[in-house]
Amino acid sequence: MTTDIDAPTTNPGGMFLQPLLGRLAVHGVMILLSVLSIFPIYWMFVTSFRPANEIFSTALWPSAPTFENYIFVLTRVPMLQMLANTVIVAAMTAGLQVVTGMLAAYALVRWRMRLSGVVHGLIALSWLVPFQVTMIPNYVLASQLGLLDTLAGLIIPNASHAFAVLLLYHAMRSFPNEILEAARIDGAGSSKILWQIVVPNMGAPIASLSIIAFISAWNEYFWPLLLSRKPENSVVQIGLQMFMTQEGNLWGPLMAAACLASLPILIVYLVLQRHVIESFMKSGIR
Amino acid sequence: MLRRHSLKLMAAFTASLLVPFGASAEMAATVDKPVTITFYNYNLASASAGADATKELIAGFEKKFPNVKVEPIAVPSNEIMSRVQADIVAGRQPDVAQLVFRDLIYIASDLGGNALEDMVKPAELKEQLAGMIPRGLELGKVDGKTYGLAYTFSTPILYYNADLFRQAGLNPDEPPKTWADVAAAGKAIKEKTGKNGFFPGAYGPTDGTFVYQSIVMSNRGKVRDGNKLTFADTNAADAVKMLHDMVASGAHAKIDPASASDTFGSGNMGMFLYTSALLSSMKKSAAGKFELRLAAMPAFGDKPTAPTNSGSALFIFSKDPLKQRASYELLKYLTSREAYTIITSKIGYLPLRLDIVDDPNYLGGWLKENPMFRANLEQLNRLTANLAFPGANYRQVEKMMMDSVREAVFGKGDPAAALKSAQDQAQDLMP
Repeated sequence: MTTDIDAPTTNPGGMFLQPLLGRLAVHGVMILLSVLSIFPIYWMFVTSFRPANEIFSTALWPSAPTFENYIFVLTRVPMLQMLANTVIVAAMTAGLQVVTGMLAAYALVRWRMRLSGVVHGLIALSWLVPFQVTMIPNYVLASQLGLLDTLAGLIIPNASHAFAVLLLYHAMRSFPNEILEAARIDGAGSSKILWQIVVPNMGAPIASLSIIAFISAWNEYFWPLLLSRKPENSVVQIGLQMFMTQEGNLWGPLMAAACLASLPILIVYLVLQRHVIESFMKSGIR
Repeated sequence: MLRRHSLKLMAAFTASLLVPFGASAEMAATVDKPVTITFYNYNLASASAGADATKELIAGFEKKFPNVKVEPIAVPSNEIMSRVQADIVAGRQPDVAQLVFRDLIYIASDLGGNALEDMVKPAELKEQLAGMIPRGLELGKVDGKTYGLAYTFSTPILYYNADLFRQAGLNPDEPPKTWADVAAAGKAIKEKTGKNGFFPGAYGPTDGTFVYQSIVMSNRGKVRDGNKLTFADTNAADAVKMLHDMVASGAHAKIDPASASDTFGSGNMGMFLYTSALLSSMKKSAAGKFELRLAAMPAFGDKPTAPTNSGSALFIFSKDPLKQRASYELLKYLTSREAYTIITSKIGYLPLRLDIVDDPNYLGGWLKENPMFRANLEQLNRLTANLAFPGANYRQVEKMMMDSVREAVFGKGDPAAALKSAQDQAQDLMP
């Protein structure tokens, strides 16, 4: 009988087991968090296929799945028109905010003016003014300009935003000055410098701003609520509200409409997942 | 004192801004040329049966009056008042609006609503109002003048789950008639089935004050007497204490007030006191799941109940004589026998004309198929006007009252003290 005095005092498998267990624990927590995040979306999707008398069922899948909620949504509310309106409004708003933000940021960064600090401060302060304060004056102005019940009325008041100006201002400040000076020596004017040199090199902040502005415009509720007078001239967030009625909440159609409304944003997210996360990481949620 | 004075000045200033026109000219005798009127309507801003019924009514009116074009403005109910105000400020004078009763006094005193007695010749008005329930006409009156005609309105009815009654050893053929019965039934349901016993749709956020006021008035209480708040006075406070005691005994559910109708619709509650407007959606939720029944609202002992009204009335704001006539014709049409037949049978609200109830040309056939609706119709005999609050701060006063009611019912403190404290504070906001 011999004794192996060189045998290790600990289990050799433990060296591998501990990191494995750690990884499993981390993955377990991540899977749990993922399920918690995805479950409400799953529930919305499943509820959209439940018949009216199964709406409050807690079964994970309806016993008799039906498209009746989607048919109801598409026949009773101009949901497709509202979706198209929302895409137009969100895309135009995001595009205009990028353009106006670029122009303002370039002016503030490049042109040294005596009151540029004050202007910058005023723009920042305007971000803090609650929408409710300007709501009625804006409404009266929109009425005088004949913009009530139009998509232009939803886009124009949001064509510029302090957030866009400030985000692009800070991004532009870190742009190498030498390149701009070189361009100027080569005879380029401000317009050429901005659109042909600065903009092509600011892809990341422009992408961030576009994504945030698009999602923000997509989720806009109060201004369209105030401005639109007919459902067919309104946006999808107002469409969702139409299923919360004085005669009870129509949960099935509401979930079907919510699925339709969230699809474009989910597609944007899936395609631009990395950009979206970076946008929110860098810029915060507006 | 200084604060009250300042508030009065502010209210007067606001009123002067909001009333854009002076006295209007006499209403035209007929609509003899094409005219377009706006109709602010919250049913149209929904995908419910109310939207379909409203479209049907507007189409019927335009067919009858080809000279009149109705431009519907669809606004959700919780925003429609703000929209009417915003449009008046923007110089877009509304013509007809469907507004809720809580705003009644404000509409009459500050928003420039037209009193029918000031607009319509007495003989013509008398002819139009003939056949309408006098108690129903009272709902839209301020200082004796009719500003609103009840349009889509109802009273609280008791929905109950007959299956849960049976499981709790109760007889569903004998629904609770008094609050003592509700307390006993609610406790039995809670103890024997584990489900919620009872909940009234009386605590917000969307139901206004009509269920709460119905309970208070059924105990001979009132939320105000003139400009003096009285919701903490003995009878009103006793009604709230009754609800508080039911919460303590387990008969009254402790759930989020916003989820009460869904809790009942899912079969997890024995009794739910709320407007009949939910009847259609409740029937859909209950189909094949549980037996849904209706009963009249419960009474305090042998005191007759005083059901107040939910819902909306129609108001005219037109200043132009021709538009006034067109608006009045729309008002007449929307409160006609034909219109109330559609409103009751297709949405579930009450008719302001009882002569159509058993008439086979109007509601007779429908009522035979829906006998459970009779419980609601019978309450019309005791219909009591919901009390709106006066003054520029009426919504704040209402909110303070309802906050204190929730605290009194669900809190651990003395219910009467909670109501009294809120009443003293809210009194400063009254005119």
